[in-house]
Amino acid sequence: MPLSVLLPLVVCGIIGIAVILHLLGLSRPARLEGSARASAVWLREFPDAPPTRVILSHDGQAALIETEAGSGVVWAMGADTTARYLGGARIRRTAKGLRIDLPDFTAPHIRLRLDPDEAAQWPSHMKDSA
Amino acid sequence: MSDMITFPDVVNWAVPFFVAAILAELLWIVIKGRGGRYETRDALTSLLMGAGNVASGIVLGFVAYGFFMVLWAITPLDLGTSAWVIALCFVLDDLRYYWVHRFGHRIRWVWASHVNHHSSQHYNLTTALRQTWTGTFTFMMVMRAPLILLGFHPGMVLFVGGLNLIYQFWIHTEAITRLPRWFEAVMNTPSHHRVHHGRNPRYLDCNYAGVFIVWDKLFGTFVPELDSEKVDYGLVHNLGTFNPLRVAFHEWVGIFRDVTQPGLTWRERLNYCVMPPGWSHDGSKGTSFDIKARYISDHPESAGSPGLRPNMKRK
Repeated sequence: MPLSVLLPLVVCGIIGIAVILHLLGLSRPARLEGSARASAVWLREFPDAPPTRVILSHDGQAALIETEAGSGVVWAMGADTTARYLGGARIRRTAKGLRIDLPDFTAPHIRLRLDPDEAAQWPSHMKDSA
Repeated sequence: MSDMITFPDVVNWAVPFFVAAILAELLWIVIKGRGGRYETRDALTSLLMGAGNVASGIVLGFVAYGFFMVLWAITPLDLGTSAWVIALCFVLDDLRYYWVHRFGHRIRWVWASHVNHHSSQHYNLTTALRQTWTGTFTFMMVMRAPLILLGFHPGMVLFVGGLNLIYQFWIHTEAITRLPRWFEAVMNTPSHHRVHHGRNPRYLDCNYAGVFIVWDKLFGTFVPELDSEKVDYGLVHNLGTFNPLRVAFHEWVGIFRDVTQPGLTWRERLNYCVMPPGWSHDGSKGTSFDIKARYISDHPESAGSPGLRPNMKRK
């Protein structure tokens, strides 16, 4: 297939599918419905480190996890979730919550939407690991 | 010699079909309310990975093709281009695919290229297009060398490889549950390939087939999809980014960081490249074997069930 046909086809196909998915409401982030769900999400990534404490964000899109091995976060990755320990993290306040920079190529920046109280309190829980 | 023979670039010609099939699957899921999940950024990343794969083929394809043409110039054999020869080439190339794919999961250097295909936590037709940008650097093109030296024209070998890839597109779906028993017995199917994309301990490192699932049954790597254990898609440690550049290169970066650690022997540095993913010189990480062994240790009743051999002991 000539590039002059292939290129527009690929570009229009990608944009078109992305727009349709968004219009269908399929861009909504995952919600952690309660601490038990947040624990399960953490254990899905780190089965050997059961949470000793879970602090859920107000909108359920993230949770701060404390374990005997250190603190971590779980957060929405699109309709799914992932989790990371906070070792080596740099934590900054932003207008919408917190930004966590990790020395991790697969999760370099985590942006958490937190209300002002959460944004003020969470860093103190995180600093032991950071 | 059939030097002037050309075969169509079937993967590029299949692009309109890919787009139409994705829209059809999406429509099915939306109307029926079952049969899979879609999410905008995940799908967009998969599609961009697919586009990047085509682009890398255009930019770097000359490396493999040049290598194949050198082999073609060397070999005294020419099997021609009859339908039977093409069919035989397709079957043998599928065997080649099985081993390349198996190496892709068992050798970290090759996994670094293949990992991005498993990096989605979704399983739909866009996942099929989440393809590597860095396949050339794995040097797995050498696995096609025997076919060319046996007298299969390089163009034919690439043609049947394209057909293989197109076959594998439609099996990346949850919309199809099980197919007739005879088909499931011989062919790779959505059910078999769902298992391959699973991060559940029992589903790790199995079902490497491209088209014919018989290779897995022959070489002892087949694991059936169990109704009692839903497949959990994605990586053992899922990514925290949708950035296609990070998806494409993250394991290469991981290898670089591991290899350049201070205080390692040269053998340890080499092992970080060639041992299975998760290997570490100090045992601080875990391979799929370790993950399975730990699961059996925690669930002794599962030992001996599909994907969990009873002799897997935790180290």
